[in-house]
Amino acid sequence: MSSHLIIGQYVPGHSVIHRLDPRAKLLIVFVYVLIVFWANNIPTYALLSLFAVVFAALSRIPFSFIARGLKPILWVILFTLLLHLFMTKEGDVIYRIGALSVYEGGIKQGLFISLRFLLLVLMTTMLTLTTTPIEVTDGVESLLGPLKKMRVPVHELALMMAISLRFIPTLMEETEKIMKAQAARGVDFSGGRFSERMKAIVSLLVPLFISSFKRADELATAMEARGYRGGEGRTKFRQLSWKAADTAFLAAVALLAVLLFLLRS
Amino acid sequence: MNWTMPFFCLLFIGRICNAATQGETIMAEPILSIEGVSFRYPNQSDYAVQNVSFIAERGEWLAIVGHNGSGKSTIARMLIGLLRPERGAIRLFGCLLDDTTVWEVRRRVGMVFQNPDNQFVGATVEDDIAFALENNGIPRAEMVERIREAIRQVHMEPFLHHEPHRLSGGQKQRVAIAGILALRPDMIILDEATSMLDPRGREEVLETVRRLNCQQRITVLSITHDLEEAAKADRIIVMNKGEVMAEGAPEHIFRLGSKLERIGLDLPFAVKMGSRLREQGIPLRAGYFTTEELVEELWTLYSKK
Repeated sequence: MSSHLIIGQYVPGHSVIHRLDPRAKLLIVFVYVLIVFWANNIPTYALLSLFAVVFAALSRIPFSFIARGLKPILWVILFTLLLHLFMTKEGDVIYRIGALSVYEGGIKQGLFISLRFLLLVLMTTMLTLTTTPIEVTDGVESLLGPLKKMRVPVHELALMMAISLRFIPTLMEETEKIMKAQAARGVDFSGGRFSERMKAIVSLLVPLFISSFKRADELATAMEARGYRGGEGRTKFRQLSWKAADTAFLAAVALLAVLLFLLRS
Repeated sequence: MNWTMPFFCLLFIGRICNAATQGETIMAEPILSIEGVSFRYPNQSDYAVQNVSFIAERGEWLAIVGHNGSGKSTIARMLIGLLRPERGAIRLFGCLLDDTTVWEVRRRVGMVFQNPDNQFVGATVEDDIAFALENNGIPRAEMVERIREAIRQVHMEPFLHHEPHRLSGGQKQRVAIAGILALRPDMIILDEATSMLDPRGREEVLETVRRLNCQQRITVLSITHDLEEAAKADRIIVMNKGEVMAEGAPEHIFRLGSKLERIGLDLPFAVKMGSRLREQGIPLRAGYFTTEELVEELWTLYSKK
């Protein structure tokens, strides 16, 4: 089972969106997340939704995967909708139940805010669905490159992120192994009272931590033996290539920003 | 100080070392020589390695055997500058190992560690092979070329884009070897590199190293407690409690017999079997260490009768 393990939510594919430079995708999502807050009327929200839907459609990712990403926040959206429905007191009263009354402004506001939420999560989900974690790391490292001048250890942070990602499956395998070993010694991970279950988890965490520290130590030694001495004078094997499509998508999101700015009321 | 200074120094020293190695072919200077090296771990009174001296010739397969705590891994770590000897000198390629030469040494001497997982840095096989190349500032175009060459030498071409958790232990160790080969090394140190592998993985790794040793004359220093593995070396050094106990060709070393067993080493099955048979009065000649060789000896003996 672990041989099919995919870290994060990445869905392999070869669509335009998959092939975009991770820097472009990060910028698009970043700009989108900012301008979502400009929208405040029907045309602006329509434009934003259109962009997100087209973006999702171009990725050719089955709707079920996207829906799975959105599911966890459905309750939050519903809650936001109800809160606005009953708390906003603007415009005409549309419906009245006892002490609660629903105003026209409430419906509008509730729908807008929920939509805003939905769009935010949809776009960030699209990023993780179409980009491998390692590509995201490369993109972040490249985008934060200028910060090196301000002595921000960008290379070190990116390397840490990449190594953590590489070790997730290894540590998961290890966890499974320790759980089985402890279960064989009579530890019950599934049943019992809350306090007992916590105790069982301690018997899992302690060996896991010890072995992780040992791994980290050995890894550092191996890295040093292979000539690692920080980011200086180092070349990079993974290269990002900015293509025409990346510029085009970035231009599209810029155009969207301008339109939103003009159309907002 | 200007940050580029160390790099210039390194380049300069690299030149000297190269000049030294070129001269070496004529003078037959050993690729590695250790003279009176001692080492103590911090806060310990006992020496982990005490007054150890030996040499390794170019193209040789040298095995260092010893029980846990005999100091064999400590020696390996000192050879690539991970630990610094308290006394004595280590010379590689005719150069004294110190702060100025250590990075050049790490480029030319590769080390395969015990745990296959804890030395795999990259997200995929190709990223991992690239890691050491990146550290040494090799241009990208050349990297692609070298990675392709290295992966071919360890027969792992179909796995170029695989993540580490989809590889077996033996395959991971072969990737580690490829990562070393990409740097075009002069010497490979195997630090218990096969001890966590299953028999098949072990054979894969040893076969790969043997081929490199024969075809490319890469010097191999194999650190192990497995005498079966050491039996195939050109020369064996036996370590015990931080000191060299014996040194010589495998047939010479295995004649020590019970002495080796007393310091916690397990003699190969064929050697034990052979000496038992000799005790029973069967006229076997000495000098075989593998089961195949013993079988060969036995059946030829039978047919001679």
